[in-house]
Order: sequence, then C-alpha cells, then structure tokens
Amino acid sequence: MELDYSFLEKTLLLVLLAIPTTLKLTVVSVLAAAPFSLFIALVRLHRRGALLRLVTAYVTFVRGTPIVLQILLVYSLLPSALKAGAAGLGLSVDVFALNPVFYAYAVFTLNTIALLSEVFRSALGNIAPGQMEAALCAGLTKPQAYAYIILPQALVSAMPNLCNLTVNLIKGTSLAFLMTVQDMTATAKIAASYGYNYIEAYLDVFVGYVLVCSVVQCLFHYAERHVGRYRLVRQKQG
Amino acid sequence: MRPFDPYFIWTVIPALLPFLSVTLAVAAGTLFFGSLLGGLLAAGQVGGGRMVRRLAQTYIYLVRCTPPIVMLFIVFYGLPKFFMEAFSLDINAWDKIVYVWISFTLLFAAPISEVMRSSYLAVDHGQYEAAVSIGLSPRQAFFHIMLSQAAVVALPNFGNAVISLMKEGSLAYTIGLVDLIGKGQLIISVHYGARALETYLALTLIYLVLTLGVEQLFSFLEHHFSGLPPSDAAWHPVKPGGEV
Repeated sequence: MELDYSFLEKTLLLVLLAIPTTLKLTVVSVLAAAPFSLFIALVRLHRRGALLRLVTAYVTFVRGTPIVLQILLVYSLLPSALKAGAAGLGLSVDVFALNPVFYAYAVFTLNTIALLSEVFRSALGNIAPGQMEAALCAGLTKPQAYAYIILPQALVSAMPNLCNLTVNLIKGTSLAFLMTVQDMTATAKIAASYGYNYIEAYLDVFVGYVLVCSVVQCLFHYAERHVGRYRLVRQKQG
Repeated sequence: MRPFDPYFIWTVIPALLPFLSVTLAVAAGTLFFGSLLGGLLAAGQVGGGRMVRRLAQTYIYLVRCTPPIVMLFIVFYGLPKFFMEAFSLDINAWDKIVYVWISFTLLFAAPISEVMRSSYLAVDHGQYEAAVSIGLSPRQAFFHIMLSQAAVVALPNFGNAVISLMKEGSLAYTIGLVDLIGKGQLIISVHYGARALETYLALTLIYLVLTLGVEQLFSFLEHHFSGLPPSDAAWHPVKPGGEV
C-alpha cells in the first residue's frame, strides 16, 4: 500500500510532542480521583444506609454508560452550569473562554473516581480483618493503622488492576478531541485533514499509544516489584 | 439556550429506540466474529508452537495498547485504500457497519482470547485424561468435557467483556453509523443543538438499562450453570469479576 512517508515522519513528531497532554490528562485524573475513590471504597465496604445507596448508584452509572456519552453529557452540561453558578455568585467570569482541557480533567476525573473505587474496594476487601484488629491491639490509632498497615498491603494487591485502569484511561483520553483538547489523537486528526492523509496520521497515533502504554506498563512492573516488600509471606504463596 | 425540559427525555426515547437494533447488531456481530478470532488466538497460545505463541502474544499486546477510536479510523480509512490497491476492489460502498464489525472484532478478540485461555487452563487437565481413558476420542474429550467446563468458568469475565464491548461500540457513530448515539446526534442537530442535554440523558438511560440487563443475564447464566440457586447471589458480596 502506498503511504506518504514524509507526512508519516512529520506527523509522528507532532504526535510525540502531544504525548505530555495525554499523560497530563491521565495523571491529573488519577491523582484527583484517588481521595474520592478511597472514600467511596470505604463507604461501600462499611455500609451505611443512604450514603451507600448514593455512591453505589454513582458507580453503577459510570460503569454502565459509555465514556463517550459521559463526555458528551458533561460537555453539554458543565459550561452552562458553571455559567449559572458564576452568575449566581455575582462573578463576571467568561466560562466559555475557559481552556477546554479543564472540562476534560473534570470528565476523566469523574469517570476515574468510580472505576478506581472498584479497584480500591477489591484491594481493601482482600485484607484480612485480623490485620486491623492486630494493629489496634498494638496501640495504633485507626488512621495510623490505615496508613501503615492496611493501605500498603492493599496497594500491593491493587497494583495489577491499577495498571489496567491507567492503560484504559490513557486509551480513553483519545476521546478528548470531542472537547477540542489537543492530545495525540486530535493533533494527528488536524494534521491529516489538510491532505486527507488519515491512514498515515492514525498509524502515527497507534505508534504513539503503543509507546506510551509500553512505558507505563514497564513503570508499573517496576513499581509492583518495589511495593512487593509490603507483601506478606503468606500471600506470596497464594 | 432553552431551559432544561425533562419531558423531552420521555418524548425522545421512542425516536431513539428503533436504532437500538443497530447498536445490538454491532454488539452481536462483534461478539460472533470476535469470539471466533479470540478462539483462534487462545488456541494458538495454548496449543501452538513457539512462533504462533509469540505472534498471538504480540497481537494481544498491541491491541491492548490501541484506543478503540484509533482502530476504528485505521480500518475505516485504511481498508478501502488497501483493497483498492491490492485487489482493485472498491469497497467504499460497503455499509459502515461492516467497518465497525471489522474494527471491533480485531479489538474484542484480544481480551476474549485471554478470557478463553485462562478459563481453559483453569480446568484440571486430569479431566481430559480421565475422559480419554474411558474411551472418548480426543476431540470428544475436548468438546464435551473440557470446553463445557471452561465455558462455565469463563462466564463472569465473558460478561464483563461483553459489557465493555457494548460501551465501546458506542464509538461507531464517529464514522457515521447511525446507531443509538448517531441518531441522538441527528436529533440534536435537528433542534440546532438546543436539546443536547435531554437527548444525552435519554441515551444514558437506555445504555444503563442495556448494560444492567446484560449483567443480570450473565449472573443468571452463571448461577444456572454453576448449579447454585440464584438466592446464593447474596452469599457473594463481591463477585469474582468485581462487577457491581
């Protein structure tokens, strides 16, 4: 098949230069979502009436709908909601001049909160209740027990799922072009639209994503070995 | 902007529902062809030689790193060009759903092959040996003994894969297929963008019903085939697949 190789090379550079945008979307979303996810996971493990139903409904909503629909929904709701909010507070902010990347952060964070809470929930649920009891017996306070005993162990068993979630999120950010964010996909799409070189452009994007995902998976592999020292000997066998 | 009108959500659902069949056709076709390709990949990984195994692993790795939208566009723009130059065949007139089927089959085969492989390996190999020792042919032992047990093991993960397939399938509208979301976009443009929120909410409702329905179906099948009564669902607060 005849490909335009000079375009292929030129666009590959453009796509690689857009990698930081993709990574920023991923990292910001995961970090912003983490505290909320932990909260939701704890609520779901130690059930409490209405709050439990609320967070369960939220997680079900996010897991039950396509992310493209979540993007379209938030992107058509949030600007107007912000405008109404700003007007209500008497602020004269032009929300429509806001960088669209903030809407992307909002969507992917809202999405990640639910998915990450499932990772935390299964990780925390796998820790024997005896660990908490032993920590409390040894005189640790509850926050200390979480910080030094429960969370490090949960992190070990959460690592593979965390890696999956990150890779899926990186792939998910390819839809940020719907919000006019200039990530890898959008950059290539725009470059291709001048000369209809779509195949070349998308092959470049493909290479870019394989590169990013490979590096991320290597990093997680390394991190998994690093946190492996929190692993209990008993768990190693199972 | 017009004020939010909850009533519009109810009026737009009947307009959207006829296109549910397109969305389901995307999922069903991908499920069929993707399972075939996934089965081949799994067979290559379990029973193939070193070369075949390496090839299958590379394919699965690459697909795992590919965003669905990128695969969709590579197939949609690349395939007609490839057919034109390789076989002088003009396939631009093919229905868009064919491109969608091809892209999602390529994507879906990777996770499904992993589900198949792990469930096959989860069945004790002694089962196969026992079957052959009582006089079944290797083929009979595979189909009647191994495959039927592996299918039960695979059910929860298979269900998860189907649900994520249905959600990813919603991207088909980006190449112009008029499925649920495609029809929704058309309705919005008829209203000059004024009814976006209501339409998206209606689509959200439809998708929630769909995914929850599929989940219920698989949890029913799981309990049906594992021989446990459905009431035992309460006994497993967190299901093996981690599904909500």
